[in-house]
Amino acid sequence: MRTRILYATFKRNFIIQRRAYPLEFFIGKILSAFYTVLTAYFMYNLLFKGQLNDSFSEFTGTSDYMSYVILGGGIYLFVVGTFLNVSRSLITEMRTGTIDSLMIAPFDRVGYFFGNMLQQTFTTSMEFLLAIIISIPFGINLTGINIPATILAFLISLVAYFGMSLILAAGMLYFRDTYISQNTVFLAILLLCGITYPIEYLPQWVQYISHIIPVTTSLNMIRNSVILGMGIPEQLNNFGYLMILAILYSVIGFKLLKRIEKIALENNLA
Amino acid sequence: MYRFFWRVVKAEALKKHRTTFHSKLVYFSMLIWPILTFAVAYFTYKPFKLSAGAEKVGYLNDNNLVIFILIGYIAHMFFHSLVQSAWGFSSERFWGTLELIYLSPASRLAFVLGNAISSLFENVWLFIIFAIMMFQFYGELYFPGIGLTVIGTITLIIPAIAWGMFLNALFLFSRDTRILFTILEEPMELFGGVKLPVAIFPLWAKIISYIFPLTYSIKILRRIFLKGEELVQLLPILALISLVTLIMIIITILLLKSGEKYAKKTGNMALF
Repeated sequence: MRTRILYATFKRNFIIQRRAYPLEFFIGKILSAFYTVLTAYFMYNLLFKGQLNDSFSEFTGTSDYMSYVILGGGIYLFVVGTFLNVSRSLITEMRTGTIDSLMIAPFDRVGYFFGNMLQQTFTTSMEFLLAIIISIPFGINLTGINIPATILAFLISLVAYFGMSLILAAGMLYFRDTYISQNTVFLAILLLCGITYPIEYLPQWVQYISHIIPVTTSLNMIRNSVILGMGIPEQLNNFGYLMILAILYSVIGFKLLKRIEKIALENNLA
Repeated sequence: MYRFFWRVVKAEALKKHRTTFHSKLVYFSMLIWPILTFAVAYFTYKPFKLSAGAEKVGYLNDNNLVIFILIGYIAHMFFHSLVQSAWGFSSERFWGTLELIYLSPASRLAFVLGNAISSLFENVWLFIIFAIMMFQFYGELYFPGIGLTVIGTITLIIPAIAWGMFLNALFLFSRDTRILFTILEEPMELFGGVKLPVAIFPLWAKIISYIFPLTYSIKILRRIFLKGEELVQLLPILALISLVTLIMIIITILLLKSGEKYAKKTGNMALF
């Protein structure tokens, strides 16, 4: 039952994406990543002539600034993709008038959201790959990559992003807003999670907030695995911590959604 | 006739204000977003040795970095709010109110001007207050005298409004505004020199930069408030920004006329 719902949601979303949003979203997100990389390239190579503060390598363990930023920009694509597609799923159903029929049907929430998540992961992976290929001339260095650690880090990260997007979905549904909530969250992540700079540059009290947002640890793990070539045993603490965050966010997200769904549905039908 | 033109400007500005300020959430986009974006830009500089940047851009140092970025973001807010508003403006087509506007004898130019003025002042005032507080706090802003301050402000406001009018006309007749938004919004921040000085760009990037009037406005403001240049030194760039503004207004008028002519002939409001 659950697998059928997952597959049906996956297939439906693909059809919607292919027919209703031909290329704009795809091009828009690729361009966003491209501008982030280009800004970093101009800054690093043209303005500062490759001269970094010693603190950068002290905080990150590398002096490869371009790989650091390119990976940050790429992962940010995934975060934005998950939030746009999973968080907005129920409110989009509401706007398109399909939420009533969805709620009347005996649909399984877990299958539905995983279907949304898988579909978006597939699309964003294409965007991510394209972004990485575009970034090669800008200096991304993948020679030291530890493949098993990268794959595991990436998989746990996806579960964590999924959990975050469920909480955001509950917020969106409650306030019936996507524009303000999603853009505020995107900017907060850009500022707090170390997308283009290490979080150690932020004030200490802000860093505490950064650490409870899964994107921060996820980025650390992916960078450690890709740039520094660190293996799974060396990062066990990080893996464990992110796993706990991912489960916590997912459980809270599902519980919140279940409660808010009822309120939203009553308001919608009223 | 002239009085009628300003009545349309006022009416459209009021309509825009009422449709935008229906919720307190709007303050997020007016203040919180620009502050977060500004903070991201500030911390993006942290990994670098600023002294290395000073070789290329003489006036950039640890003390005035905040002012350098703030000037970029204030100017960007002016232009950015107009891209956003033009995007919202395109919904006149979806609401079906565009036809009504064209049935009325209202000046089309007054209509797009009213919308641009309203969005501009609604969106920037809160961030300006924040910026003034930051200027006070960092205290590195050079005061060039009232004359040059007024000139700097004018070279920011007038081109921004002309840019807004141009975009409103462009979005009004476009079938697919999302792609225009993608093309115009993000590159403006990079190529307009908000975070980075245009002087360091390679030639191809400089050519793109000079398409955006924001580039000229930021340059003038930084030359006045950071480098302390005199009016005589600024004359060439002031002439250039006046010319760019004039060209934008002419294109706006031509767009409005050709769009309406096309709509009358074919019954289709989407020119491209």
